[in-house]
Amino acid sequence: MQNIIIGQYVPGQSFIHKLDPRAKLLTAFLFVIIVFLANNWITYALFGAFTLLAIFVSKLPLRYIYNGLKPILLVIILTFLLHVFLTKEGPLLLDWGFLKVYEGGVEQGIFISLRLLFLIMITSLLTLTTTPIDITVGIETLLGPMKKIGLPVHEFALMMSIALRFIPTLLEETEKIMKAQSARGAQFSSGPMKERLKSIVPLLVPLFVSAFKRAEDLAMAMEARGYRGGEGRTSIRLLKWSGKDTTLFVILLLLCVSLLLLRS
Amino acid sequence: MDITIKDLEHSYSKGTPFERKALSNINLSIPSGTFQTIIGHTGSGKSTLIQHLNGLLKPTQGSIEIGDFKIQAGVKEKRLKALRKHVGIVFQYPEHQLFEETIEKDILFGPLNFGVPEDEAKKRAAKLIQQVGLDESYLSRSPFDLSGGQMRRVAIAGVLAMKPSILILDEPTAGLDPRGRREIMDLFYRLHQEEGLTTILVTHSMEDAARFSDDILIMEKGGIALQGKPETIFSNPHSLKKLSLDVPETVQFIHRLEERFNKNLPHSVFTLEAAVDAALSVLQKGEDS
Ligand SMILES: Nc1ncnc2c1ncn2[C@@H]1O[C@H](COP(=O)(O)OP(=O)(O)OP(=O)(O)O)[C@@H](O)[C@H]1O
Ligand SMILES: [Mg+2]
Repeated sequence: MQNIIIGQYVPGQSFIHKLDPRAKLLTAFLFVIIVFLANNWITYALFGAFTLLAIFVSKLPLRYIYNGLKPILLVIILTFLLHVFLTKEGPLLLDWGFLKVYEGGVEQGIFISLRLLFLIMITSLLTLTTTPIDITVGIETLLGPMKKIGLPVHEFALMMSIALRFIPTLLEETEKIMKAQSARGAQFSSGPMKERLKSIVPLLVPLFVSAFKRAEDLAMAMEARGYRGGEGRTSIRLLKWSGKDTTLFVILLLLCVSLLLLRS
Repeated sequence: MDITIKDLEHSYSKGTPFERKALSNINLSIPSGTFQTIIGHTGSGKSTLIQHLNGLLKPTQGSIEIGDFKIQAGVKEKRLKALRKHVGIVFQYPEHQLFEETIEKDILFGPLNFGVPEDEAKKRAAKLIQQVGLDESYLSRSPFDLSGGQMRRVAIAGVLAMKPSILILDEPTAGLDPRGRREIMDLFYRLHQEEGLTTILVTHSMEDAARFSDDILIMEKGGIALQGKPETIFSNPHSLKKLSLDVPETVQFIHRLEERFNKNLPHSVFTLEAAVDAALSVLQKGEDS
C-alpha cells in the first residue's frame, strides 16, 4: 500500500520541481505522442537518455522510483513475453517445438517494454514533482479557451483537484479499516484466496460509507463558505512562464528534430 | 500471557522520502493480568506501539513477545491469526469498522472468523449488547441507523465478543458524553477483574489513568518518558509539568489542601469519594484542635 507512487508528490527544489506546471503538462503530453516516433535502437536510446536525464535532474531518490515501478514491472514483463512469443519476424533464434522465438520478436518485445517504461516514468515524474493543486491549475489554464465553446473546464478542474486531494485520504482510510478488520480475524494479505475474497466486503462497505460521508461534509462546507461555481472566480495561484520553461521546450524541439532525422 | 517488548523501533514508510521514525528504544514488560495505561501527547506514538502487539505493524528493529508468540524485525510470523484471537483491539473511533446489515451479524464477525461456534457466538452477542448499554431489540437493526455513541458501543461489543485475553483500548471513550464514558470504562474495568484480562488502555484522561491502572507509561516523541505506579507518577507533579501533562483533579485538590492547611496528606487519592474523605479528615482535625 505504501509503495504506490502514482499521484504522490515529493517536495523538492530541483529544476523540474520549479518548472511551470503548464510546461510540464505539455511536455508529458507531447512525450506521449512522440514516443511513438521511435522505431530503432538509436531513437530508443535517445528517449532513454532523455528520461534518465529528467530523473537525474529531478533529484528524486532512484530507489524510491524503482520501488514504485515494481508493481508495474509485472505488466511490462507480460508485454515483453507476449511480443517475444507472438511476433514471427526475422531469423529463428530458439525452437522448442511448440514455442518459437524469432529475432524480430525479441526486438519488438524490448522496444514495446521500453516504450511503456518511458511513458510511465515521465508521467510519474510529472506527478512526483508537481503538487496536485498545481497540476489542476495548469490543466484549467491550458483548457481555458475551451470554455468559449461551452466546455465545463472549471468544474472538471475542481472535480479533479478534489479527487487528487482525496486519494491519499482514501488510502489511509483503507489501511485503517484493513487493520481494524484484521484485528477481528479478517485475512487480507495471507491465507487462502477464498478467505481473502471474503474480506472485501468488510473493507469496501465502511470505505464507501466514509467516502459518502466525506463527500457530503465537503459539499456542505463549500456551500457554507459561499462557493458558487466558476463564474468570475479568480485563482490565488498565478502561473508564471519563465526562462526555465522555454529551455525545456528548446530541449524538446531538439529531441523532436533528432528523432525525425534518426528514425528509420 | 505476559508481554515483553525489547528495543522496539518503528519507522513508517521505511526506505522512501516519507520515512518517519515513530518509535525508538521501547523496552517494556507487561505481566499477565496487569491494567497498563499509556498516556502521551498526540503524535507521541501510542497507537503505533499498540498495533505491534498483534502484528498489525511489524517492528523495524527489536522484538515483541506475547506469551509464546514472538514477533521480530525481519522475521515473518506465520501464526498471526492465532495471535489475533488472543489480542483484541478497540481502535480509535471503532465505529468506522461496522459493515454488516444487522448489529448481531457485525458482532458475530470476529468470533466466527476465529472459529467460535455460531450458537455460542450468538449467546455472547445477546449478553454483550446489554453490557454495552443497548437492549436486545437492537440486534436485528442496522448499525448505520445508530447515533455515533451507539455505534461505538456496538463496535466495542464486536471486539469483546472475541473474548480476547489481552484487551487493548485506544482512546475508547473519546467523543462520548460523560455518563457514557463512565459506563464504558466501568464495563472495561469489571471485565478486567472478572475475566482476569490484561488490559492496555490508551487515554488522555488522567482521571481514568489514576483510577484503574496498575502501571502507567508516559510516552513522548516515540520514546518512554516516565513509567511507574499511579501513586509514584502523580506524587511528582513537576516531572509531569515538564512533559506538559497534568495530575488528576483529585490529586490537584489534595495538593491545594496541603498548601492551604500546611499538612502532609497521602497522594494516592484517585476517586471523588476518597478526595471528599481526605478533605473531611483535614477539616475535622482542624475543628478538634
Ligand atoms: N500510517 C502512518 N503513516 C505515516 N506516519 C504515521 C502513520 N501513522 C502515524 N504516523 C506518525 O507516527 C507518529 C505517531 O503516531 P501515532 O498515531 O502513534 O500517535 P498517537 O500517540 O496515537 O497520537 P493520538 O493521541 O493523536 O492518537 C506521528 O508523528 C504520526 O504522524
Ligand atoms: Mg492514536
